Amino acid sequence: MRDLLKRYRFFLFAIILLLATVILYSYNLRQKTATTFFERAVLTFASPLQTSLDGLVDSFKGVWGNYLWLVDARQQNLVLAQENKDLRTKLQQSEEISLQNVRLRRLLAFVDDLDRPALPAQVIGEDASNWARTIVIDKGSRAGLLTGFPVVAADGVVGRIIKTAPNSSRVLLITDASSAVAALIQRTRTRGVARGRGNDLSLEYALRDGDIQTGDLLVTSGMGGVFPKGLALGVITVVEKDPFNLFQQVQAETAADFSHLEEVLVIVGEDK
Amino acid sequence: MKHFSLYFLIGILFVFIQSSVLPLFFSPNLRPNLILIFVLYLGLSESTNRAIIAGLLLGAIQDSFCGHSLGLYVSVYLIIVISTRVLSEQMNTESSALLLVLIAGGTILQNLLVAVFLSILADTEPVLRILLPAIPQQLLANLLSSALFLFLLFRFQRLVGQRPGLAGLIYQSKYHGL
Repeated sequence: MRDLLKRYRFFLFAIILLLATVILYSYNLRQKTATTFFERAVLTFASPLQTSLDGLVDSFKGVWGNYLWLVDARQQNLVLAQENKDLRTKLQQSEEISLQNVRLRRLLAFVDDLDRPALPAQVIGEDASNWARTIVIDKGSRAGLLTGFPVVAADGVVGRIIKTAPNSSRVLLITDASSAVAALIQRTRTRGVARGRGNDLSLEYALRDGDIQTGDLLVTSGMGGVFPKGLALGVITVVEKDPFNLFQQVQAETAADFSHLEEVLVIVGEDK
Repeated sequence: MKHFSLYFLIGILFVFIQSSVLPLFFSPNLRPNLILIFVLYLGLSESTNRAIIAGLLLGAIQDSFCGHSLGLYVSVYLIIVISTRVLSEQMNTESSALLLVLIAGGTILQNLLVAVFLSILADTEPVLRILLPAIPQQLLANLLSSALFLFLLFRFQRLVGQRPGLAGLIYQSKYHGL
């Protein structure tokens, strides 16, 4: 028996050890959440080493990735730069469309109030001189535009068409020195003629005893048949009365902002 | 004919720049009148007949893109070209400084002529209030533009070629060597 044990002691020892580990495993399966002393010791001992090793590996990875293995970096950089550029362009386009949307909504609201058929147009050019005040729009005789049609913006009157080509028209702004529009003060119905002064308007032939005050709204009177009645021309800024003059000197700031004019409406028909 | 086609194309290009590009950056008074500069340059560089026809052509182009009546700039440029021709007979057109002085004088003359024509013929008296205060800014804009134009001309003198009669370029005046 002793010889037998001696001969197979290695296998016996192995079987006992295997059984012990299986029993240990089986026991630990039931104690899932408990940390054994051994585990705790190993973890405690390994933790600083593991942290150091991890740091070392990270450093190596960093050095390798950032300084040594740069085969695709330049290509990626170019791709990302292009992508960034494309995204910026799209963002700018999106912002521009958003702003245009706001302006067009205002124009549409204005068309509803106007109660007349109107054709939207884009401003594509300005006057080639420093003294005349005209603009060029992208709609012409092919779109049915004719000389004399009034042009407005959401804020007020812009001018009237003076020349048409098949695909463009020239608009004489109300601020041009040769422009004269029959006008009246909205509050008191005092009449006059709004003439252009380059950047603003003057109200001529307004009688001295007419009640005009700064801040009054100047609107079209509808006389002359070019502009519909009641469209905003500007706001009175200066009123001067000379006792020896038959008329008062009146100046007005335009309602439409001519320095930022991008979309306009051409009124193409009679009252609905 | 080749020359006038070239002047026509340059005139169209300049008027497009003036009416569609410069308004994006400058107020009306600070926009240089490129066509006026070109007219003055041709007045100094070309023969009298050719300069007059070019002036009329460029005036008509500018009239098409400005105001509402054809003929104003045709008349103004005709007067300016004839004045330039008369002056250039007495002066050294090789001098770049002369070109700048003529552009200054031409700018003032052009503004005055436009003011007179508009006030007398078109009954647009308020235009004087727009034109006259703008003269200093117009002078500045035109002088800076012509200085840039001359700088580019000097820079690319080889491309222009050794042709006699180019004002402002030394050794290329039509009177050089006479």
